[in-house]
Amino acid sequence: MAGTGNAHLRGEGMVLRANDINVEFKIGDKKVVKAVSGVSIDIAKGETLAVVGESGCGKSSLGKALLQLPKPTSGSVILNDVDITALHGEKLRAVRPQMQMIFQDPISSLDPRMTVRRIIEQPLKVWSDLDEQGRASRVDELLDSVGLDPAVVGSRRPYEFSGGQCQRISIARALALNPSMLICDEPVSALDVSVQAQILNLLQDMKDKFELTMMFISHDLGVVKTVSDRVMVMYLGKICEIASPDTLYKTPRHHYTHALVGSVPVADPTKKSLRSVIQGEPPSPMNPPSGCRFRTRCPAATDLCATEEPQLREMGGGNYVACHHPRA
Amino acid sequence: MLRKQPISVILAAGWLAILLFFALFGPFLPIPDTLYSFEDSLSVGIFSQGHILGTDSNGYDMFAQLVEGSRYSLLIAGISVTIGALIGSIVGILGAFKQGIFDRIANALFSVVLSIPNLLLSITLIAVFGTSPDPSNPVPPSRRLIVVIVSLTIVIVPILGRIARSTAISWSNRDFVTAARSMGMTDRQIIVRHIVPNVMPALMAIAFLAIGVVIVAEGSLSLLGAGIGEKTTWGSMIARGRSDIEYYPHILFVPIVAVALTVISCNRLGDQVRRNLDPREARL
Amino acid sequence: MSTLLSLRNLSVQFDTVRGRLNAVKEISLDIESGESVGIVGESGSGKSVLSRAAMGILHGGNVHKSGDITFDGNLLSSLSAQELREFWGTGMAMIFQDPMTSLNPVRKIGTQIGEALRIRLGMSKNDANKKSAELLRLVRVPDPDATLNKYPFQLSGGLRQRVMIAIALACDPKLLFADEPTTALDVTVQAQILELLDDLRKSLNMSMVLVTHDLGVVAGHTDRVIVMYAGEVVESAKTTDLFANMRMPYTEALFKSIPTLDTPTGTRLPTIEGRVPDPTQDNPGCSFASRCSYVQEKCRTEHPPLTSDSNDHHYRCWFPIQVRSTL
Repeated sequence: MAGTGNAHLRGEGMVLRANDINVEFKIGDKKVVKAVSGVSIDIAKGETLAVVGESGCGKSSLGKALLQLPKPTSGSVILNDVDITALHGEKLRAVRPQMQMIFQDPISSLDPRMTVRRIIEQPLKVWSDLDEQGRASRVDELLDSVGLDPAVVGSRRPYEFSGGQCQRISIARALALNPSMLICDEPVSALDVSVQAQILNLLQDMKDKFELTMMFISHDLGVVKTVSDRVMVMYLGKICEIASPDTLYKTPRHHYTHALVGSVPVADPTKKSLRSVIQGEPPSPMNPPSGCRFRTRCPAATDLCATEEPQLREMGGGNYVACHHPRA
Repeated sequence: MLRKQPISVILAAGWLAILLFFALFGPFLPIPDTLYSFEDSLSVGIFSQGHILGTDSNGYDMFAQLVEGSRYSLLIAGISVTIGALIGSIVGILGAFKQGIFDRIANALFSVVLSIPNLLLSITLIAVFGTSPDPSNPVPPSRRLIVVIVSLTIVIVPILGRIARSTAISWSNRDFVTAARSMGMTDRQIIVRHIVPNVMPALMAIAFLAIGVVIVAEGSLSLLGAGIGEKTTWGSMIARGRSDIEYYPHILFVPIVAVALTVISCNRLGDQVRRNLDPREARL
Repeated sequence: MSTLLSLRNLSVQFDTVRGRLNAVKEISLDIESGESVGIVGESGSGKSVLSRAAMGILHGGNVHKSGDITFDGNLLSSLSAQELREFWGTGMAMIFQDPMTSLNPVRKIGTQIGEALRIRLGMSKNDANKKSAELLRLVRVPDPDATLNKYPFQLSGGLRQRVMIAIALACDPKLLFADEPTTALDVTVQAQILELLDDLRKSLNMSMVLVTHDLGVVAGHTDRVIVMYAGEVVESAKTTDLFANMRMPYTEALFKSIPTLDTPTGTRLPTIEGRVPDPTQDNPGCSFASRCSYVQEKCRTEHPPLTSDSNDHHYRCWFPIQVRSTL
């Protein structure tokens, strides 16, 4: 299955480049959870890379590792040509404004005791040279750009707002310092369907307006399709497949991607839903299978899959798969 | 804000306001000196001529004692809880936020103090630092007072500190703290701007409860003879009045009711403070 | 087919700090035996309150319920809590959204399944254990005997959900309420659970009410769909008919705002502007008027009743979307 491999990495000029990232947690004394194993990715300027997978695949851990919150167990992250994994203390803090994150839970992303105005002002207070007046007008500007009226919203507290509005506030805060890169960790999963669309549109608008580079983490394949330029599928800490959304969804080459795409409920009763293509439960990340991690649930697994970990290789048209026997 | 409070809160605040008044203006009130013995009216009951709450077996006026007692009881409780909360929350929050060795030290400190029975700890400290072996050269009352306050403070520190720590841990794990870190805020900035304001409400509510607890604790100390000595506290009133319960119950009754009312009022106010400061309670 | 559950003018109100909240407004509907009905709505639509009210498990002094609930010929609304209990488990059962919190973390799985069997059916401990293992097999839990001895935290979300289904089915209910049963699960696990529910429904001849916000889920797994908005039924029809001919603007807007796998990359999704109306306020007119793209003056002032057409397709709209020509 998904293995390490650099076939999918492009050359120079990437905003973000992550090499061989490993994220491991210790549980108790002996057990180690391998959340992310040997993942390398790169994202070009203005591109949106979507990272999809189910719970336990390591996508959130990957996002946090890129932000150095906390630093990955091993591997390097190069942001705007600077190796930030090698930085510490003041130097690391100084580069943080370049990469910001939007979180899944809109309410817990905001300090409940602060007013909206103060929340968005925080990053400006830490970094910018603006005086109080300057900060206030920048806050107004940011609130406007996310579709909120500063006069109405400014002096209120997060609990007075809906999930969608809280996400807008989070987005305004994240953009305050003009980051070059935005990592969105399941930003619309906790929102109602009708609100999801609003926030997705907003993210698209922000991306265009501020020329942002984005990494979009989600478990929802439909959501990801509308916003991304490339999609990366993860399973148990490894990459399975990377491709453009159309290619990935129409002709998934990896068996896991195929199962994932096939499991998405389609809002059309005339299309008979497939018998669920995949059985069983994912193995524990503390004890992942040898070789290809997906082989225990894969219909095409052979002996080779148990002994040798597949590397990502190109299948044409920007599609990379880590599988010994990809689908035709 | 005052308008909308429930009646029990108003009563509680009212009682504590009266006590505060006594504590501050007691010496200026036209009431007899606590140590003046009305020899003609020993142990008279409540509503007697000239003594609204009666006198005790030494002839000391009960009302005067109540007023002076409120002064010292509130002083001791107020100072020890305030300082205890300050020290406890600093240690607890730092440990919770920084984790690692900080947290281990904080935990160890708290556990050690908590493992020693409170009363024994206080009595030992008072016995060592608050008494002198030479009866002709007694410890000045001010020093005794300080020792009593310090010993009670030490008891309060781990109790409030643990609460501060556990609250701080749960807040430290919230996304907005991660967001603050990702913005490049220093630990100090995050603790001051985000953690402390969110820990305060829970802590303040418990601090009110702690005041009640300390008043009772001081009472226990007085009962055991380890109180502050000369000046009257409610605890010393109870200590002195113990033996009179059979024939002159009012001597015991007055301080006990005072303590009970104060503890209930503190609890009620603490609860209300928590409710008012917690923004989530304010909505649906 | 006979009518299993019948709701007539069911209303539920809550007393809250902000005033009286109308969660469910005069809902009438029927569920036939053996059929699968989907109730679709977003948060605030009242769908969860409805299913809990129908079962009679809403508690609290601040709850005001009115209307008739008839189950299998029995008028439930007039029964006391004691009498209602007879129906829970054997008549109606419910499975909930969050498998983490729906199981008691400090009791073993076997105890939790067995509890229903021993209390409701009076089985002995041995019999209950045997039946529990059987139930786990029924819900396709691997290694049932070992699982009986485990605690909830040792199982994954999908397995816990299966256990919850086993508990619900323990006493052979005729009607199963599934309140967002797969929302908290991964999509591959969701597919497995929905398939399991379908199979069980058919083999046990059980009715199912599937409450969800996901139109995709109802499309593949229900015979009939009811769409709720702001505490009312705004559209209901056979599933195929609903998706082919949406009459209510809300349903259409909801459908269009869902990104699907066929949506081209980079499209701006159509959104529904505005917010759900405040449930503590009484609004004249249609509750969707402030957000409807087809709104007209009448919509703002007069509250539309539920009307139906010849296909048993009900809608609550003064100006429903015209029927598209059928293929």
